[in-house]
Amino acid sequence: MAFTRENFLAFLESASALMNENKQYLIDLDSALGDGDLGLTMTSGFTEAVAFAKGSSETDLGKLAAQTGMAMSKKVPSTMGTLVASGFMGAGKAVKGKSELSDEETASFFTAFTDGVCNRGKAAVGDRTIVDALKPGSDAFAAAVKEGKSLHDAASIACDAAQKGSESTKDLIGKFGRAVYYGDKVLGVVDQGSVVGALIYKAMAQTL
Amino acid sequence: MQRLLNKPENYVDEMLEGLYAASPDKVTFVNDDKRCLVSKYKKKGKVGLATGGGSGHLPLFLGYVGKGLLDGCCVGGVFQSPSPEQMLNVTKEIDQGAGVLYIYGNYGGDIMNFDMAKDMADMEDIEVRQVIAGEDVLSAPKDKADKRRGVAGIFYVYKIAGAAAEAMKSLDEVERLARKTCENVRTVGMALSPCIIPEKGKANFELPDGKMEIGMGIHGEPGIKLEDLKSADEIVDTMLEPILQDLPYKSGDEVSVLVNGLGATPREELYIVYRRVSQILKDKGIKVFNVYVGEYATSMDMAGMSISLLKLDEELKTYLKMPFDTPFMTQNQL
Repeated sequence: MAFTRENFLAFLESASALMNENKQYLIDLDSALGDGDLGLTMTSGFTEAVAFAKGSSETDLGKLAAQTGMAMSKKVPSTMGTLVASGFMGAGKAVKGKSELSDEETASFFTAFTDGVCNRGKAAVGDRTIVDALKPGSDAFAAAVKEGKSLHDAASIACDAAQKGSESTKDLIGKFGRAVYYGDKVLGVVDQGSVVGALIYKAMAQTL
Repeated sequence: MQRLLNKPENYVDEMLEGLYAASPDKVTFVNDDKRCLVSKYKKKGKVGLATGGGSGHLPLFLGYVGKGLLDGCCVGGVFQSPSPEQMLNVTKEIDQGAGVLYIYGNYGGDIMNFDMAKDMADMEDIEVRQVIAGEDVLSAPKDKADKRRGVAGIFYVYKIAGAAAEAMKSLDEVERLARKTCENVRTVGMALSPCIIPEKGKANFELPDGKMEIGMGIHGEPGIKLEDLKSADEIVDTMLEPILQDLPYKSGDEVSVLVNGLGATPREELYIVYRRVSQILKDKGIKVFNVYVGEYATSMDMAGMSISLLKLDEELKTYLKMPFDTPFMTQNQL
């Protein structure tokens, strides 16, 4: 099976719906340990991403993903908006010139998404950020594809890994953003950014 | 704190409207966005220089856009980073074919957004380099100098890079000189009172009467410790020590000094401060080439000041001497 423009649009729509469903949860998490706007920026950012990608006639998936990232960043220049947008830009750069992706290329796409976020925010696994969900997700996805699993099965494995990664942030002290000021008060609470990361993989599992 | 404003949410845009009305011959904006400020002075083939950051610090950042300094600035809300899109619009406007250098302070949001703008500019085939200023000695120890915040000393980075660009130096050369300036400038600040963000209407931290905080940042980031207020001379002695040790300095060195008021401190007091600075430098055999005393990087209505030293050599001196002209300040050839 190939990853096409249709898959990409479906993935964005699913992500947008999931952000909307979890809007209040994200707002509550972020109000406790951040500035409270995460639910708003993510719903607004993904709504914009869907609108942009659907309205674009771009057939090059790489360009489409990168431009979708830029559209998102323009809409929500908050930290998380910029990070997720950077993921799309990184993913797009990795598959530039292709109108559909093989399974390996689809894995590269999601790996590059993680790298795009890491390069922009300079965070690594264990820093209590969105990366704690994205990295396990893209690593598990790439490994499953390499083993010859179908995209559908690989996506479901990746979704579980991202979810587990997000849960693991409950035991982590923050190294980035406002979480730093809260020191060990954040323990026991899941990092709000990692929840966004897990939702992105949930969207992928729903659509691949 | 009583303020002159209409609606708090219009604070930044109305300030900009006033600025464009006051200096129509020097600055304008692009893309119908008042927050994308560019210089009216243009020179074909010159390296473009851009900066950006939150409002609430005038003349930082936009006050340094003008002939001999910067070409453009993205203006954020009070203490908020501007967006990558705004930075990209400014970048496109000021690119004169020789590439663009971003110079801004070491703050997470600004770094991410400028990085993003650089990626977007790359896609449009505009070569962008970045120099991030972080010279606040007390914001991080020397072995973690990359974590230091950028404060008033960024003025020197603008000054040297701006003069080099005006002298039609290449992007490589302008970037090298900007980095060299960063390596040779150090700042220490102190606060006597907190500041109030217009939309919040209350101070984001406490600084009771009779207390002061040495090392406080320009958004009220914590300093070294809250302590009892001392005399001006004692405060300057405490502040100059870490600056002189950090580089370090030796007898015979030559410097430029910047004494910066944070917004609510009278200039009289800044001269009382400089008096002591000049005594200490004289005692140590450090020669002062030139001095800037005034408001260069403020923090709304915070009282307090910062002292910056730029260690000079002949090359830096050449560029420091060159003239500049912005809506906020003018320097003739020294």
